[in-house]
Order: sequence, then C-alpha cells, then structure tokens
Amino acid sequence: MIADIASDLKADSAMTLSKASAGCQLRIRQLEGGECQRLREIGFCEEMEICKLSDGRNMICSVCGTRLALSKKLGDQVLVEMV
Amino acid sequence: METIALVGNPNSGKTTLFNALTGSNQKVGNYPGVTVSRVSGVLRTPHGHKYELLDLPGCYSLIARAPDEKITRDVLLGDQQGSDLPAAVLCVVDASNLERHLYLVTQVMDLGLPVIVALNKVDIAQRQGIRINLELLAEELGLPVVACQANKSVGVLDIKHAIRRPLPLPSVRKWQADKHTEAAITGLAHQLKAQDIDNAGPHSIHLLADADYRNNQQAGISQVARQAGIDSAESCAREGISPEDAISKARTQWVQSLCSLVVRRKDPAQGVSGLTLSDKIDQVVLHPFWGWLVFAGLMFGIFWTIFSLAEYPMGWVDAGIGLITDGVAATLPEGDLKDLIVDGVIAGVGSVVIFLPQILMLLFFIGLIETSGYMARAALLMDRLMNKVGLSGRAFLPLLSSYACAIPGIMSTRSMDSAKQRLLTILIAPWMSCTARLPVYSLLIGMLLAGYGSFVQALVLASVYFLGTASALFAAWLLAPRVKGNEGPSHFLLELPEYSVPDMSYTCRHLAERAWSFLRKAGTVILGLCILLWALETYPKPKEGTPAAEDPALALEQSYMGRMGQAIEPVVKPLGYDWRTGTALIAAFAAREVFNANLAISYSVEEGDDEDEFLANLRSKLASATWPDGRKIYTPLTTISLLVFFVYALQCLPTTVVVRRETGSWKWAIGQLAGMTVVAWLAAFLVYQVGSLLS
Repeated sequence: MIADIASDLKADSAMTLSKASAGCQLRIRQLEGGECQRLREIGFCEEMEICKLSDGRNMICSVCGTRLALSKKLGDQVLVEMV
Repeated sequence: METIALVGNPNSGKTTLFNALTGSNQKVGNYPGVTVSRVSGVLRTPHGHKYELLDLPGCYSLIARAPDEKITRDVLLGDQQGSDLPAAVLCVVDASNLERHLYLVTQVMDLGLPVIVALNKVDIAQRQGIRINLELLAEELGLPVVACQANKSVGVLDIKHAIRRPLPLPSVRKWQADKHTEAAITGLAHQLKAQDIDNAGPHSIHLLADADYRNNQQAGISQVARQAGIDSAESCAREGISPEDAISKARTQWVQSLCSLVVRRKDPAQGVSGLTLSDKIDQVVLHPFWGWLVFAGLMFGIFWTIFSLAEYPMGWVDAGIGLITDGVAATLPEGDLKDLIVDGVIAGVGSVVIFLPQILMLLFFIGLIETSGYMARAALLMDRLMNKVGLSGRAFLPLLSSYACAIPGIMSTRSMDSAKQRLLTILIAPWMSCTARLPVYSLLIGMLLAGYGSFVQALVLASVYFLGTASALFAAWLLAPRVKGNEGPSHFLLELPEYSVPDMSYTCRHLAERAWSFLRKAGTVILGLCILLWALETYPKPKEGTPAAEDPALALEQSYMGRMGQAIEPVVKPLGYDWRTGTALIAAFAAREVFNANLAISYSVEEGDDEDEFLANLRSKLASATWPDGRKIYTPLTTISLLVFFVYALQCLPTTVVVRRETGSWKWAIGQLAGMTVVAWLAAFLVYQVGSLLS
C-alpha cells in the first residue's frame, strides 16, 4: 500500500517523454497506456536510464546504446524523470 | 532430420549467422525486417550430425503483432500446421545490447526446449567498453552461451560444438510474477494438460501474456484452450491484475537484475548519452532541410552513375553482341536458321542483356542503402509525408525495396503490424519502378535525348522514378479511406541501427547471384519468347512473285504478328503507337524486358542489320520508323507517352500471383492488375492527346 502511494507520488512528479527536452538524461518511472508491453519489449522499461537525443514529431532516444525512433503518441505513454 | 530454430531480435545478425552456419547466401541488411519468411538450410556439427536450421523472422518478442512475427511464434509454440516443435532453439543476442535482447530470451526459455545462446557482435560490445561475464551469464540463464562475431565467422565452430548430442537440457523459466499471476499460470497449465493440449506450460504463459493470441479465433490453438485462457485472464482482472502487464514487468525486472550482475560498462554514461559517429551523421541526414537534400542528392547520384559509368561495360557487351552477330552471319548460310539466330535470338536477347550493367549498378546502390543503415533513416524521414497519405514511415522500407523488384518488396510488408497499411502498401508497391523497367526506360530515354549528356538523361530518369513514387503515394491517399480496417492508430517505432561499412564480399556475391538469375531469365523465358515472336513475325512467308516477297515491311504486315497487331492497333493508336509497338506492349505482359526484344526483332526482320553498334543501330531504326503517310512514329511525344505507360502498367504476372498470396484474395490481385493497366492507358492517352493539341 505504502509502496503504491510512493509510486503514485513519483509518477506525479514525472513528465512524459514527449515533454522532456532533447539532450536530457532521463530515467523511466512508469509506463501508462495501451502500448506498455510493446514499449517494454523494445527496451523502454521501468528504471531504465535513457537519453532523449532529438525532439519533433518522432523523437530519437538512446536506450542501452541503441537509437530508437518513436512517435510522440508513444512518448506520451512513457513517464520519465530527470537523472 | 531434426530442426533447430534460429531466433533473435531484428538486426541482431541472425541471417548473417545462418549464412555462416549453413554456407547459404540469404539476403542480409542493416535494418529491421529483412527476414520475413522461414528459410532453412543444413547445419553439420563437428560430431557428424545433420540438423535442419530454420531462420525465423526477427522479433522483439513472441507477442506477435505483424504476420512475420506470427510465423516465429507459431513455429516455437508448435502451432504451425505441418511442422513439429523444433528440437532446440539457437537464440541470437546482440552483446552490445544485452539488456534489450534478453527479453526475447526469457520468452524462449519459457518454451521448455533446449536453448543455446549465441552472443553475437562481441567486437562491437568490446569497442563500446562493455564487458560481459560469460560464465556468470551462462550460469544464471542455465544455458550454454557462446560468444561470436557472425560477420567474420568467429565463434561459428564453437556454436556448432555447442549443438552436440545429446542436446542441452530443456530450459527452465527464471522470472517470477506476483502470486495471483503465478497461480493463474499454474492453474491454466493444469487445465490445458487435462484437455490434452500439447505444450501446456508454454501455452498457459503465452495465453495469459498475449491478449491478441487468446482472443484471436485464427490463432493456431484450440477454441477450448483459448476459452480457458480468456476465463483465467478475466479472473486475474477481477483481482485488479492485468496478466499481460504483470508478466512483461516480471520479465523486464529479471532481465535488469541479471544485467546488473553480468554487464560492466567502462564508462556507464557512455552507453546512455555519448554521441556516436552515427548520431553525428544522423544530425545531418535526419535534419528537416539537409536530410531531404541528402536524400534527393543520393537518388540523383545513383541515376547519374547509372547513365555515366554504365556506358563503359555496356560498350563491352555491345561489342560482344556485334562480334557474335558477325560471326554467326559469316558462318551460317542464308536461310531461315540464320534469320532466326540473327534477327530473332541475338537481336531479341541482346536488346535485353545489353542493359545488364545498368541493372547491376542500380542493385548495387540499393544493396549499399540496405546494408549501410541508411534505410531506416529514409523511413524516418519519410514518415511525415507518408502519414499525410494514410501510411506510416515504416511502409517506406518495402517501397524502397520495390525499386529492385516488387516481389521481395511486397513480401517484406509482412513486417508491418497494421493490416490496413500493409494492404495499401502492397497495392501501390508496383508503381515503384523496378529494375525490369530499366532496360525499357534506358532505351526510350536514350532515343528521346540522343543529343544530350548523361546528366540530362539521369535527370529525366530520376523524374520517371519520381513520377512512379509520387503517383503511388497519391494512390495510397485515394485508397486509404476505401480500404476497410477497423484498427487503432499505428504508432511509429523503429530501431535506427549504427551505420556500418557494407560487406563488399557479400555485396559482390549477391550481385553475381542477381546477374546469374538475370542471364538465366534471358536464356530461358526471354529466349523462348524471342523465338516465338520471331516466328510470329516471319510466318506465313509471302509467296514468290507477290508484292510482299519484295517488300519486307509488307511481308511483316501480313505475318501472324502483323495481323494480330492490326487488330490491336485501334486500342494503341490513340496513345500514338503503331501496331508493332502495340504488340511489343502486349508481349511485355509476359516480362517487361520483352518490349525491347520485340521491337528489336520486328525492326531486324523488316530492315536487317546495317550498322556496327547494336544499341545505336536499334535506336536509329526506331527513330527513323514512319507511319504509312511518312510521319515519324517515335516522336518525343510518343516516347514520353510510352515512358508514362511503363511507369503505370503492371506488366508482371509473378507480382500478381504474389499479391494474391499475400492478400489471400484474387479480388485485390486482379483489381490491382486491371486498375494499373487502365491508369497506364489513360495516362499515356492524356499525354499523347494533350501533347498533340498543344504542339
């Protein structure tokens, strides 16, 4: 219960990947939305450190050294916090 | 023979390893989605055992969304009709991306089959300062792990050693979900076992982890098992648990804890934020302005090279054809046999083979784009434009492949997860000009711009390709609202691989294979058609003493082909073509290149050879051909109308057969053939008639 509340609080302080600025180092806090499973499969999983390399309609992120391009709508499902 | 399945994430080097293990030469590329169907080869171990190695389409997970991923899932779960469960699985993992690639390994381990892990690209991992404790990794996984570098064949023998007999022990699931999900998995496995469902354990996990699998009536598992899966998932939902989410979370947590144990980075920040050379190149090639400039420059550069550099090898082929013609003409006595060989076989086949250097050059450049890593960038660049016409940028991957040949292009749509977008892409792919059109374009552009240099010719060729591509996108925009599909939005998600220097030895082998297959086609299908066309244009021979016996043009008109052509002429005359061009267009439905052959044969039959240079001779004969009233047939307007016809016409029966197979319906295949033929006729008609009015 306490863990859930803590997780909710953390999520509240987080922003979506789409809103984060390019060049920032980020940690994924939570995945929310219909494509969570797909995002995890490709490498966007909770607690993973990523870097947003470019912004725009499709953003490019570095995940474990690999560059992944994803649409803004997918980026909205990834909650991140600054490292 | 027992089967070993080869699985891995897209772009993990799976097919490169497959080629190294079996000695095959399957197509490889540096972008996701190269392998879209199962391919098999024979693997011999150093112990003298033979296995069938099955190269399955790459996937990030066994939760299949695209048709190619479904093949992999069904083979591994034993759902594929007519094939048994594989005896073992060889799982290819990219060592420089272990965190991401181990997710699939966890799913493969759940299958309870013997698994061997091939840790590929260890050289790249080493360069990036990543150290992996192999012993610990193998211990934690409970599986044999072999380090390798498939592109250099390093470690290939070790992999063969690992596939020993008896095969390694079956793998065991390592991750643990919450207690409700665990109880659901165990309960469902018991139910499936009681119902005599094969492979109950793996099926129970998959039914709970994949909502689409348990809800899809076409999945390869029984209705009873699916219903049990649905009931079990519903009971989890009543507890407030999503089994899909719980299982994927449990897997990623296990992978992360494993990686924290076995992976060490020299500079932990490097893997996250350090800008690599690829990133610096991407800053230019993905720039909203410079990116398009690079793309346009690259395409124009390719076309210009095709016209300027290919001139030399084409000259050699031309001289070769000239030598053969002279040799045959000097050796054989006058008669039908000499006419058949000189006017039929050499003229017909020669008019196609002469363009082989240009075709190979285009294939070489497409190969470079595919293996360098630029392909995925082009798809990303195109996404905005493609979205405007109802497609995703991912659709550009099959479309770009279709510049080489529409058939592999259409097949590679299997990696698209949206059925509607896949169908749209299949329908428009043949308008991306393939290499079979290149000989026709080249012949016509050479005639149209005889006095101009290679720069202008390349510009016109680029415009012809642009016309096809732009029309394809316009057609997608028109068709998008009419093609049914009740799917949710398709999100763009694509891996951008590191740029790599293309493997020239592979590229050369691939080109040699394509050249051989082209020559085989020229020596079989095109040769056969040339003989048939020559016979149709030579017989019946005019009787001695008749006016036709003295006038070859009249004799040609009275031949079988002449009679057929005159029947066709009313259909093609509004486009500006005479009956000979009309019959060449019809013959081109068997294979586009036959258009050149038919024109070469009909003009050789009528006029005979009079110049040394074969290609210049053919072009000058076409340029001087006239209507009965003395007007030239091949005016610039007629030539442009012909070019437009070839851009739009779907003159390729194998493509129609493949479209039928991929869409599962003759309706789309025949509709596409008819639609494209009508559009080709109308477009050529408009060009000729409007052009005639203006001139």
